[in-house]
Amino acid sequence: MGARFDPAAGLGRRLLADPWFVTGASLSLFLVLLVVLSPWLSPHDPHDMGYAAFAPPSADHWLGVNDGGMDIFAELLAGLRNTLAFGLVTASAGLAIGILVGLASAWFRGVVDQVLMRVADLLLAIPAVMILILLASFYRPSPWVLALVLASLAWPTSARLIRSQALGLRTRPHIAAARQMGGSSAYIIGRHMMPELFPLYLIAFASKVRMAVFMEASLSFLGLFDPTRKSLGRMISDALPFYYLDVWWHWLLPPIVLLTLLIMAFTFLAVSLERFFDPRLRAAWAD
Amino acid sequence: MLTWRGHLLAYLLTALVMVYLSYRLPGWLPGDFVTAMYADSHVVLGAEQEAALRERLQVDGGFGSYLLALARLDWGTSHAFRVPVSDLILNALPWTLLLMGGAHLLATMLGFVAGVEAAWRRGGRIERTSVGGMTVLQGVPEIGTGVLLLMVFAYHLGWLPAGGGATLYVDHGFAERALDVLRHLALPLATLLLAWFPGNFLLARASMVLVLGQSFLDTARAKGLPPIRVRYAHAARNVLLPMATRFGLRFAFMVTGALVVETIFSYPGLGTLLFNAIGARDLPLIQGIVLFSSLAVLGINLVLESVYARLDPRVRVYGRAL
Amino acid sequence: MNLVQHRRNGSNWIIRVGLALLLTLTAGLPAGSAEEAVSEIRIADGRGDWGQPNPYLHYPRGSGYVRMSWVFDTLVWKGEDGFQPALARSWVFDSEMQAFVFELQPEARWHDGEPVTAEDVAFTIELFREHPYYWIRLDDVSHAEVMDTHRVAIHLHRPYAPFIPDIGGTMPIMPAHIWREVEDPNTFTGPAAFIGSGPYRFVDFDPVQSSYLYEAFPDYYLGEPKAGRLVYLRAGQAIAALRNREVDLASIRPEMVEPLQRQGFEIVQDERGWNKKLMINHRKAPFDERAFRQALAHAIDRQAIIDRSQRGFGRPASFGLLSPDHDLYSPDTPDYAHDPERALELLRQLGYGPGPDGFLQKDGEPLEVELLVSNITAGGQTAADRDGEVIKAQLERLGIRTDLVNLEQGSTDTRIREWNFDLAVSGHGGIAGDARILNEMISSAHGAGSVNSARFDAHPELNRLLDAQLRAMDPEERRGIVAQIQHLHAEELPAIPLYYPDAFAAFNPDSGVRWFYTPGGIAKGIPIPQNKVSLFP
Repeated sequence: MGARFDPAAGLGRRLLADPWFVTGASLSLFLVLLVVLSPWLSPHDPHDMGYAAFAPPSADHWLGVNDGGMDIFAELLAGLRNTLAFGLVTASAGLAIGILVGLASAWFRGVVDQVLMRVADLLLAIPAVMILILLASFYRPSPWVLALVLASLAWPTSARLIRSQALGLRTRPHIAAARQMGGSSAYIIGRHMMPELFPLYLIAFASKVRMAVFMEASLSFLGLFDPTRKSLGRMISDALPFYYLDVWWHWLLPPIVLLTLLIMAFTFLAVSLERFFDPRLRAAWAD
Repeated sequence: MLTWRGHLLAYLLTALVMVYLSYRLPGWLPGDFVTAMYADSHVVLGAEQEAALRERLQVDGGFGSYLLALARLDWGTSHAFRVPVSDLILNALPWTLLLMGGAHLLATMLGFVAGVEAAWRRGGRIERTSVGGMTVLQGVPEIGTGVLLLMVFAYHLGWLPAGGGATLYVDHGFAERALDVLRHLALPLATLLLAWFPGNFLLARASMVLVLGQSFLDTARAKGLPPIRVRYAHAARNVLLPMATRFGLRFAFMVTGALVVETIFSYPGLGTLLFNAIGARDLPLIQGIVLFSSLAVLGINLVLESVYARLDPRVRVYGRAL
Repeated sequence: MNLVQHRRNGSNWIIRVGLALLLTLTAGLPAGSAEEAVSEIRIADGRGDWGQPNPYLHYPRGSGYVRMSWVFDTLVWKGEDGFQPALARSWVFDSEMQAFVFELQPEARWHDGEPVTAEDVAFTIELFREHPYYWIRLDDVSHAEVMDTHRVAIHLHRPYAPFIPDIGGTMPIMPAHIWREVEDPNTFTGPAAFIGSGPYRFVDFDPVQSSYLYEAFPDYYLGEPKAGRLVYLRAGQAIAALRNREVDLASIRPEMVEPLQRQGFEIVQDERGWNKKLMINHRKAPFDERAFRQALAHAIDRQAIIDRSQRGFGRPASFGLLSPDHDLYSPDTPDYAHDPERALELLRQLGYGPGPDGFLQKDGEPLEVELLVSNITAGGQTAADRDGEVIKAQLERLGIRTDLVNLEQGSTDTRIREWNFDLAVSGHGGIAGDARILNEMISSAHGAGSVNSARFDAHPELNRLLDAQLRAMDPEERRGIVAQIQHLHAEELPAIPLYYPDAFAAFNPDSGVRWFYTPGGIAKGIPIPQNKVSLFP
């Protein structure tokens, strides 16, 4: 057992034939371009409050002006950059911890499992919002610290998801075989369990990004982020109180759409890549 | 390996740690009830008045007495409401269960069935469309959906109420009352459903996809079992495990998970209660809710652990597995 | 006994509504029906919960007081045209006795049917002296003297000018026959704790729904109130709730005015009763320099804050703190025009000059300030605004490096209280009420506990004037003193008044009830349009 599978063989060609991948990749490219090219795309400073409040979209202000006299398009670009960064940092850190804990817990079982899972319960049961309020009000940390704190609070979800799958995986014949052949724990976890659960990571990563980005929106809503720091969540919560005005379609909608595109890009890539990295699915896509 | 008893002991130990944390945590919040309540008001307290107030509110008797009081089911009295914390929690709980539990259950069940079916039709047009649709939906934050739903159905069309859990203080018969509660529930529930269903769907689908290629399915098929039986009795069993995990995890967000939705729709519940309590530094209430939610999560996880064992005979959590 | 009363009342109400309906149907006058009997008024509140409506249980904010004011009447009450009789049908100040003499309404009844007597008024003074009600201060009251069943004299230790607004028009009168038995009023929560003599009796408060239910008190001495029931609801989406007819009255944002007007709602606007201000830590350098505070006043463009933060809905505040709508407002109060040149000039005199990075510095030390902001609760609704961002931009343009810190309200309050801040944006009401607000907002002797108070004692003359205005029983003398106080406040700037945000409320005129913002604010100066006078017959 233990079929070796080289994902690199002809990968590019197959990926390009996959509509999921193409859509996901082009969305990502589009968003990255938006971020990279933002200085050229919008001439306005997102913090400049010097324009006429609630001005409708025009040639100068593509998406009009918000309540504080700031160019919405410039805000959108700056917000996308910050939100993307926040989401990526939180998701990567959270997922990394989650994978390690989940696999270790499933593999070692017993006391390790008990301790890790009870710590996970503990973290899950404490409302993250409360800890963040504490931190934000006492220490006023930078968004990066908040991202890492959020990650350290959010790993239990993926850890438990991965653990539950790994528990099943652990008893599969090829793992048992590898074990009988004297494979060390590190070897089996690293070579077998970790890669085989890859699709879960992608889904978990996409949902972590989503969680982080949404949490950022909620925290902005609660006023816990530096109000001058632009983010998509902040923009949504800024625009919310004016939903009954005509401004909603060029102010409230664009950040929601961008957020949706962002999550979509991740999920599409995840859906696409899961087929290429899961050896047991090779038959499914090869035919 | 741990026995049943050891397992329970571990849970109890965790519960104790939580009780301790809940005892300490609110005290770490900056500010206190007197400042939060009186500082920003028309009222100006004299120094002795303030001292008297603080003395009256002083309930802290150390961890030991806190633990004893908890054991006697005395969860303290809310500073702001002057009623027992347990009453407040018990009154808010049905609303939270109705909204969160309802949305959660619906999202899980619908997600499970839809995910299994989609995975079964892997590669087909239906699967592509539904996965595409769900991915788009998954990207819309609750704040966004909530406000859009509110804007369309409550503000522009006026079909559904804009807030609250029920029309209060009216004499309704049972049927009318139920209809009224459902009408109020519709928008917040839809918001949460739209937010959670896609995740459940995608998870169910991904988990199902994982088992599709496995040999035991071919065996089942070869035995000539009807497809629906193969799908649900054999394949989908493997989906139940991660779904059950997710179900348990989501319960952890029971209190704060719907806060945004509760706020938008002025829906009653534990989230709003906790949020207001934090704002007012109503320490006994904060402690009570945090503790209640932690213990509830712990309890649900304990139940789920035993459910796992049933769902998947290969996972014997407490016994000598393998 | 209370229950029986309750039930009798309930059936009465049903009969009355039934009769009203019958009348309407037979007379065929649907338009007139609203005037006859409104069955119910529903009021929206963004937060919902303001404590239970009695003096010891309501939250010490304006909304909490208003919730209580339906149940408990005061001796006098502020309506649309100033003070009008309430439990007291007339009152005089006897300067010889140094006492206010009140003649009570003989028909006034408690909700349990007992008559309201002079005994109750005297007891109330005793009760609040022993167990303080934080909304009023009885320091200057010596005692109450029962002259006969319906006449009572409240004697003062020394003259107290704000007596009528501060005590007469704010202090709820408590039933002696109930509270005399109560050992600790602060923990008394039984049904009897809510027996008052106001137009409405308290029926229910639901802490989870954050809702209140009141029922009209049919034996009210001014006649049965217009609406049979009064309901408060938590409603975050005022405009949708109004439009769906879920509520009849709600505070609204300025942008909602136009769409609601189109839908036939009536809009009322507050006078200048609420004030946004910049708190300054005048106990530490460099803010302890008056010239520095004046430089800040010149540096800040208040109209620009209104335009950017309130979309133009607001008016610049008087540097004298008292609202320009106030009777005692002094138009001669000094003003600081937005003048960056002048600000720089003042800073130069203090030794500040531009450093290599363009920001101001003194002796190589850069000038850095921290600006605290939080979402401030205004009239019951929390609204994030951009004050902090605008002020930061304005200060940085001048060359003052500014660190904007957004904290949750409770944390901000704590830091201000403990003098652990530089600058902070804050706000309060009451500036259209009695001029005693100046004492509370300026001096630490009167405002020690409030985070809105500047607690400024560095100017003895100012403090002397603050004390003197309380003793000036002659209105013209008081006017002079209060003008001086405003002048000194504007000169010293213990805090910088920024602007008065426009406040609006919308109500459904079909209910036949007309709501208004009380000139000078309800009781002590609450800028909320829920005056019980609106529901008087």
